[in-house]
Amino acid sequence: MSDEIRFTLDGEGMTARTGQSIAGALIAGGAMSWRRTRFDDRPRGVFCGIGACFDCLITVNGEANVRACLAQVREGDRVERQEGTGYGE
Amino acid sequence: MASDCDVAVIGAGAAGVAASVVAARSGCRVTLIDVGDRPGGQYYRGADLSPSPRAGVDYPALAGDLDRLVAAHAVDYRPRTTAYALERAGQRLLVRTRGDDRHRQDVDIIGAGTVILATGAFDRPLPFPGWTLPGVMTGGGAQSLVKGQHVLPGRRIVVAGTGPFLLAVAATLLEHGAEVAAVVEANDPVVGSVRQLRGLTSGLGKAGDLGRFIAALARHRVPYLRRHRIVEALGEDRVTGVRIARVDADWHPIPGTERVLECDAVSVGFGFVAQLDLAAQLGARMIRGADGGLAVEVDDDQATSVPGLLAAGETTGIGGVEAARVEGLVAGATAAVLSDHASALTPSALERVRRQVARWRRFAAGLHATFPVRDGWVDSVREDSLVCRCEEVPVSRVREAVALGARDARTVKLLSRAGMGWCQGRMCAAAVDGLCGFDDIASLQGASYRPVSVPVPLGALAAEPVEG
Repeated sequence: MSDEIRFTLDGEGMTARTGQSIAGALIAGGAMSWRRTRFDDRPRGVFCGIGACFDCLITVNGEANVRACLAQVREGDRVERQEGTGYGE
Repeated sequence: MASDCDVAVIGAGAAGVAASVVAARSGCRVTLIDVGDRPGGQYYRGADLSPSPRAGVDYPALAGDLDRLVAAHAVDYRPRTTAYALERAGQRLLVRTRGDDRHRQDVDIIGAGTVILATGAFDRPLPFPGWTLPGVMTGGGAQSLVKGQHVLPGRRIVVAGTGPFLLAVAATLLEHGAEVAAVVEANDPVVGSVRQLRGLTSGLGKAGDLGRFIAALARHRVPYLRRHRIVEALGEDRVTGVRIARVDADWHPIPGTERVLECDAVSVGFGFVAQLDLAAQLGARMIRGADGGLAVEVDDDQATSVPGLLAAGETTGIGGVEAARVEGLVAGATAAVLSDHASALTPSALERVRRQVARWRRFAAGLHATFPVRDGWVDSVREDSLVCRCEEVPVSRVREAVALGARDARTVKLLSRAGMGWCQGRMCAAAVDGLCGFDDIASLQGASYRPVSVPVPLGALAAEPVEG
């Protein structure tokens, strides 16, 4: 399990272990929040951790609303913090 | 992109693994669909289990059997796959699936004579101001990070809510090097004794687990604060502490007992909620389980009110991993008979398993009686606390909906928007139910109806079912 994967969060270099979820890698890297809500502009991160609450949504390689707790990181992923609906509205 | 089988099993936790193994060993063509990367569900999380010394029906033996059946193509195992819709096509049922969030376009339609729902449960949260702050998460969320990702959610963590699962979460956090500031338990379980508690909780995991949890708490001098509750989580952009209070027997905070615990993460949970989307789609009859939550009604064969639809485990009422496993065995045997195969479980073995189902269900009822959700949270929750996390709906707006005349859960949802967001009410339905005080199953079932259980690309929805 020593293989390290490299990816970016808003352009900044991050690392993850093979098989790690995006949420796991981000929290290991010190981030607790990566989404802001569309009405109150409040920060959100992991809540249920098992794909039920959709609070940990994030944009991966341009695709919005990926559940960070379930999706595995892949080499070279461009991960971006998400605002509101994730579609720039 | 369409396939066919005798038995489609949805969910690869203890119930789904047990059901798949029995059905496949009986000669059925089985497709096993699961969101996870590996079998095991939320309890086992794909752990590498030491193989069981004897053949049998304990989980390690079943997991080993499943591996062999998958390798022999007797079970078509589909990990990282979500069953998002279930529909009837004549005598058969169709399961619509899609890939994970990075493969949403990978859709399929699986025809099956029998479907076994083993979709498990998620934590039941209750709202308090600040529960949406980053760092506040469910017990299952904390467990998934620590056990699944080997990442601690924080360095100093408060574990709160009710139930023996709090102790399991605290022990996991301690084992992985976190400091647990306190375990905040709203009920007062030590009315009897630790021994009684151990009897109650043995069914939630391997026997003796609870002794290990309690020993870990004692060794690390973690306070177990019974009859206490979080009244507010503090912090601006992430949680920095919680305000807790002593509560009376009905969970009303006692004035003058509030104090602040500093922490950088919080784990909360008040029991669990069964995952019932697919059962609701087919209109399966529901009941209130022993914990007051909605559950699918099943008979002694694990058959629901819908022909061809069986259910096992938490979907039939929160009962823990052992109840799930033995119900899965029964469901697998029923599915074999429905598919005109002789069951791999002999009549006497099946009889033994049925007795175990009854025993674990009795045990679950005892557990729920010890750790109920009490009404006091309803009239003590602050009006400005969000109840629906997705649509950012405060408690006050749910109360307004009731004041405007809403008399069922669906009308409350339409008036307040609570439950209309991404999670489709999974996180708030139990709380909204408590706030409104409706006591009508049909009303709750209306609110839990989700024609599509996860977001699906429009192109996928346009795919036509094939002729069965």
